[in-house]
Amino acid sequence: MPQILCSLLGPSQQERQEGLECIQRRAVELGKGLEHRQELLKWNGWGYNDSKFIFNKKGQAEFTGKRYRLGGMVLPTFKEWIEKTFGASLEHKTTSRASLNVNDVPPSVVNEEFLQDLRATKISYSQDAEDRVFRAHGHCLHEIFVLREGMFKRIPDIVVWPVCHEDVVKIVELACKHNLCIIPFGGGTSVSSALECPEEEKRTIISLDTSQMNRILWIDEKNLTACVEAGIVGQDLEKQLAESGFCTGHEPDSMEFSSLGGWVATRASGMKKNIYGNIEDLVIHIKMVTPRGIVEKNCQVPRMSTGPDIHHFIMGSEGTLGVVTEVTIKIRPVPEYQKYGSVVFPNFERGVACLREVAKQRCAPASIRLVDNAQFQFGHALKPQVASIFTSFLDGLKKFYITKFKGFDPNILCVATLLFEGDREKVLQHEKQVYDIATKFGGLAAGEDNGQRGYMLTFVIAYLRDLGLDYYVIGESFETSVPWDRVLDLCRNVKERIVRECKEKGVQFAPLSTCRVTQTYDAGACVYFYFAFNYRGISDPIHVYEQIERAAREEILANGGSLSHHHGVGKLRKRWMKESISDVGLGMLRSVKEYVDPNNIFGNKNLL
Amino acid sequence: MAAAAARGRARRGAPMYSQKELTSKKRDEFEDILEERRLSSDLRYAMKCYTPVIYKGLSPCKPNAIKSAVLQSEQVQYVIKQLAKEMGESPDIIQEEATEILDEMGHRMQLGAVRFFAFTLSKIFKQLFQRVCVNEEGMQRLQHAIQEHPVVLLPSHRSYVDFLMLSYLLYTYDLALPVIAAGIDFLGMKIVGELLRRAGAFFMRRSFGGNRLYWAVFAEYVKTMLRNGYAPIEFFLEGTRSRTAKTLTPKFGLLSIVMEPFFKREVFDTYLVPISISYERILEESLYAYELLGVPKPKESTSGLLKARRILSDNFGTIHIYVGQPVSLRTLASGRINRCPYNLVPRHLPQKPSEDIQEFVSDVAYKMELLQIENMVLSPWVLVAAVLLQNLPAMEFELLIEKTLWLKGLTQTFGGFIEWPDNLCAKKAVLSGLALHSNIARLADGHVVLSDKGVDDGAVGEVVFRHALAVLTCATYRNQLLNVCVRPGLVAVTLHMAPSFRKEEVYSCFSFLRDVFSDEFIFFPGISLKDFEEGCFLLTKCDAIQMSQQEIYPTDRGSATVSFLSAMFRPFVEGYQLIFRYLSKEMKEAFTEKQFIPGVRNFVFQLLEKGSTQCYEALSSDMQKNALSALVQLGAVKKKKMPNGFTYHVNQEAVSKILDMFDDSADAIPEHNEFLFPEYEILIEPEEPEPDSADDEQEAEDTSKDVKEQEELGAAGIADKAFQSLDEETLEAMAKHETEEEKIFQMFKKQVAAEPEQIVRYCRGGEGPLWVSGENRPEEKDIPNCVCGAKRIFEFQIMPQLLNHLQVDSLGESIDWGTLVVYTCADSCGGGNEYLEEFIWKQDYSMGSAL
Repeated sequence: MPQILCSLLGPSQQERQEGLECIQRRAVELGKGLEHRQELLKWNGWGYNDSKFIFNKKGQAEFTGKRYRLGGMVLPTFKEWIEKTFGASLEHKTTSRASLNVNDVPPSVVNEEFLQDLRATKISYSQDAEDRVFRAHGHCLHEIFVLREGMFKRIPDIVVWPVCHEDVVKIVELACKHNLCIIPFGGGTSVSSALECPEEEKRTIISLDTSQMNRILWIDEKNLTACVEAGIVGQDLEKQLAESGFCTGHEPDSMEFSSLGGWVATRASGMKKNIYGNIEDLVIHIKMVTPRGIVEKNCQVPRMSTGPDIHHFIMGSEGTLGVVTEVTIKIRPVPEYQKYGSVVFPNFERGVACLREVAKQRCAPASIRLVDNAQFQFGHALKPQVASIFTSFLDGLKKFYITKFKGFDPNILCVATLLFEGDREKVLQHEKQVYDIATKFGGLAAGEDNGQRGYMLTFVIAYLRDLGLDYYVIGESFETSVPWDRVLDLCRNVKERIVRECKEKGVQFAPLSTCRVTQTYDAGACVYFYFAFNYRGISDPIHVYEQIERAAREEILANGGSLSHHHGVGKLRKRWMKESISDVGLGMLRSVKEYVDPNNIFGNKNLL
Repeated sequence: MAAAAARGRARRGAPMYSQKELTSKKRDEFEDILEERRLSSDLRYAMKCYTPVIYKGLSPCKPNAIKSAVLQSEQVQYVIKQLAKEMGESPDIIQEEATEILDEMGHRMQLGAVRFFAFTLSKIFKQLFQRVCVNEEGMQRLQHAIQEHPVVLLPSHRSYVDFLMLSYLLYTYDLALPVIAAGIDFLGMKIVGELLRRAGAFFMRRSFGGNRLYWAVFAEYVKTMLRNGYAPIEFFLEGTRSRTAKTLTPKFGLLSIVMEPFFKREVFDTYLVPISISYERILEESLYAYELLGVPKPKESTSGLLKARRILSDNFGTIHIYVGQPVSLRTLASGRINRCPYNLVPRHLPQKPSEDIQEFVSDVAYKMELLQIENMVLSPWVLVAAVLLQNLPAMEFELLIEKTLWLKGLTQTFGGFIEWPDNLCAKKAVLSGLALHSNIARLADGHVVLSDKGVDDGAVGEVVFRHALAVLTCATYRNQLLNVCVRPGLVAVTLHMAPSFRKEEVYSCFSFLRDVFSDEFIFFPGISLKDFEEGCFLLTKCDAIQMSQQEIYPTDRGSATVSFLSAMFRPFVEGYQLIFRYLSKEMKEAFTEKQFIPGVRNFVFQLLEKGSTQCYEALSSDMQKNALSALVQLGAVKKKKMPNGFTYHVNQEAVSKILDMFDDSADAIPEHNEFLFPEYEILIEPEEPEPDSADDEQEAEDTSKDVKEQEELGAAGIADKAFQSLDEETLEAMAKHETEEEKIFQMFKKQVAAEPEQIVRYCRGGEGPLWVSGENRPEEKDIPNCVCGAKRIFEFQIMPQLLNHLQVDSLGESIDWGTLVVYTCADSCGGGNEYLEEFIWKQDYSMGSAL
């Protein structure tokens, strides 16, 4: 999921003289972006300040802002859905604190000698409370809840903004010299408690914000690679590459906010991995600064047989070993043609069978996702008011055709959304192949529009949690990967487990417990769950929520699913690491950590 | 002053059973389902609209579709391919074979057959039974369960009527008919077999251990039914009908098959429903007795069943069916089973269950049987039979009534579920029992005697056989009581057997018996101590025994209870002894079970003819088999698999050793070995501060006043009474002499009295130790400095109470002390892991103060 663009939430103490060339460069960029961006992002919720779900004066749901296709539209059926699904009522509202109370914030404790050394490096920094709180969390439910209603026990003492690899080297050296703790911070979109500061950390905690390292250093058109500084945010990277006619094709749902370095550190996965690959397929070279020194390779080649690939110590290291500063990544020419699509299946079982067949024939489009019935209905509830009677008539006709003529039960059917990319001709050919397979499994093509809306929703859905929080509804998403033959069992059991746990824990309304198969592989699939419930009448909702989330994870593991497909482990899922990779496996990782960072400078306590 | 002295209390294990009130356990009410049948048309009932509730999301499926799904399943196909490869045959041939197996096995449930059964069974049941009582709440729970998760019905098995009755019951309550795993011998009954099949029975061969194809097809068939929730699966944990009415030890094969879909997470959960079916009079009772005595059992055949029509004219009383609480397998497994035992292998590959899982399956099986036992209804006749068997050949009627009533109370204390109609006087209850069971016992001249017809005439052998038949039939009813009483019962037996009343010896003897009888009665595996404690608890509850710190002994009032219970289990103790004796004397060579049973039967028969034993129950082949398998488990007999079955080899020495334990368990089980002391847990608690010394004196005065008073009372001529009420302390005070020595010992006693079980007092650097005597106290120079040069200071002292727990008190040889005082370095030198030498001072009781 997401990562926040704190990128340009730059240093608020700009008292020092700026001399170096790179600093001037930043000044130029910040000059045009700093204040602007600071207003851009919510301090206690997801995404842009101007984009959110609200209930307007007529009591109808509406999505504000102009950034998304849904922006400014009224969603007539959404209110009913939310009331029906959660038993929530618009009359019962919770209120978040309007702004951060600076007095609650733990004081910044930084030793003067270090500050002197830091000033000498000319790297900008801040001890401001808002800057520090902003980097003390990711986007787990409990973190947002704390922001709205409490305060973190431990937050970074100081934020630094290196602007280039050399800056990072200096900071790491200083941290080693003074024995301080560094927590690297990219987009801030972690959903694994990875950014939370360990409460028991006594040393000064430096939040190393990579957002100012956001240049594309070079593009190599012959080899189709680009060397990029790790702090760059996904959408900026794509935008800037597009200027030269290229793309990386790496599009995690959080790509608006998450950073390249973050992707590497968590083993991220992109929506269009079927064409472009996941981060581990995309990366050609990584440069990382560790307390031991700099780790890199001698060449930038597609593959080498030189023992275990050291990139795989770095990818997924979650900030425990060092800071990724520069990444050489594969690029592709921007595709000529894109086409969305969707297919309706009579039930989830048939849908999964179809996806399995598509994966078997290795003809998966750039993206193929299958949402279950609950999510289909949810998507339906987010349908904006239609402009013309004709469209609504057409919708009615479609519905009639699907439900009455084809005999689909609207309470059972499910939908696959598709995204094709490439040459126009090949796309059309590809499309036909996939639809032919779908037909064999009882699928019915359901139009481009439905597909496109489906993908748009994945960006918007993250905003919904903030709305829910206002009305006693809390929710979260989690994911796993699972072999094909267990997909159905896992989906059914995990959803059922959530429902039961809620019941047992005294949740008064049945929760929303829904899933989608979101990625396909040769040997299995990635499954994504959404889970939300109305917590009225529960005294400690976060605790209850965490118990249920844990039970759901246990269920996933018991069903042969993985601990995580792409969110990572962080501190949230650490307890299951041992059974996930065995004692010896954990020991292997530990020994790498011990060698690279014997004094635990990168002390965010993730993973191990 | 507030020195924190450590008080140690030694104990062995914690009592595992809370003081639960077993008798007040809530059980559902019963409802007679035959009542309505007697009032309305059976035909209409059979033709009623039958729309059972089904498992969620289920699309109904024809039996043939199920069969082909099974054949095409990955699991079966995998085994077919494997076998084809191994045997070099074409897969088609093996596939053919699998189809045949499936045809032989599968059910062909048809509503017509079900309706036919409903009609006929109504007629038959009304003829046979007075009432068929069902707990309706249980049926409602079952109805919910069926809609929620796949359900496995686990009824007890006493009669063929069991599964007919259960299907009939589910039909009556408009629930999906179960598919029943029935033994294949039914197939011999041509018409009935086919009818049963159409009513939903499927058949399994009794043994198919070696046949992989059969196993694969069978397992997949069961799992397909279960996974899709087509119908509840029903089978008998006991594997076969219990001929003795005693619950048989469970079989695990089918249970582990039905549990597998859950382990593999193919289903979210599975409900196991224990069902207890109790018969006031068992249809096959005399047949069973013949069978146990080795008269061959008639093969199930249709003509046999037709002959059985004779019994239609007979009365078989009431049936009670108690449908237990559905038990969620998921709940049972939570925390028990490693989460992902099947994650690393494709789920369709046949895989031997891990040891964890095997153990779990076994635990679940026992748990289910214990739940069955808990809800088995005991009729008054069961109590009568238990009393009567202890008072053969004849018992005065009035006495029988009195004893029966007494036993009723005892059984209820033990948690037995007695169905004794309110206000029914004991006499009527016994009389109606006698009326129903006139074939077993009858009233003659105010005495109740066994109905062993023609005992007086005929050859000796004939007499013995007739009597054995009567005893075994009667025992069938007493047996229903055994599993309820087995824990307190074995404690009672033990109290007669164990060489002393010392707790450890009683327990080890109990534990031995529990092992020996592990096939005879149902014990949850591995909780011997818990069973023992429950037994003791129940006996304490009915005032039969008393327990002190070290001993368990029968009370005066309770000796009747202990003797009764002990006598109830005596046939087993004696029977096993006879069988063991036979094995240790007669069986030198390897033998098979087929040789063993007649051999031991003849052996016992001869003893009975000679009159040198009265243990008729040793003739029971059930007991003989159980005894043999107990020996196998105890390692005294080796069981070997041979091509034509199992053979057994007796280890003579081991068997005689076991026999010795029965005969004389005095030198039986070593308490602990000679080198290690027994293990205990030490509890640490701070000591309460001492009361003020002023109060102390006050108290001392008060005491002396009391003493005076008591002396006066004594003088007044009621000395006996007064002396009884004098406790040790007062006596002490009476004998008080004002010596220095005395004072110290008194202090010691006073301090210790607050917490008499303490074994260690810990107070590092605080006040000195608590001396037992004024003599032999160390002075400062007596205590050497530590190796590091620092002074040694008092750290803790070991109290004489510890001696009680070490069990080394053979006088003259063993160690003894007043107190042991340990002094350690004041600087706590040596922070490492090495041992350091410390200083210990041993003080004995002074001669003057020793008691």
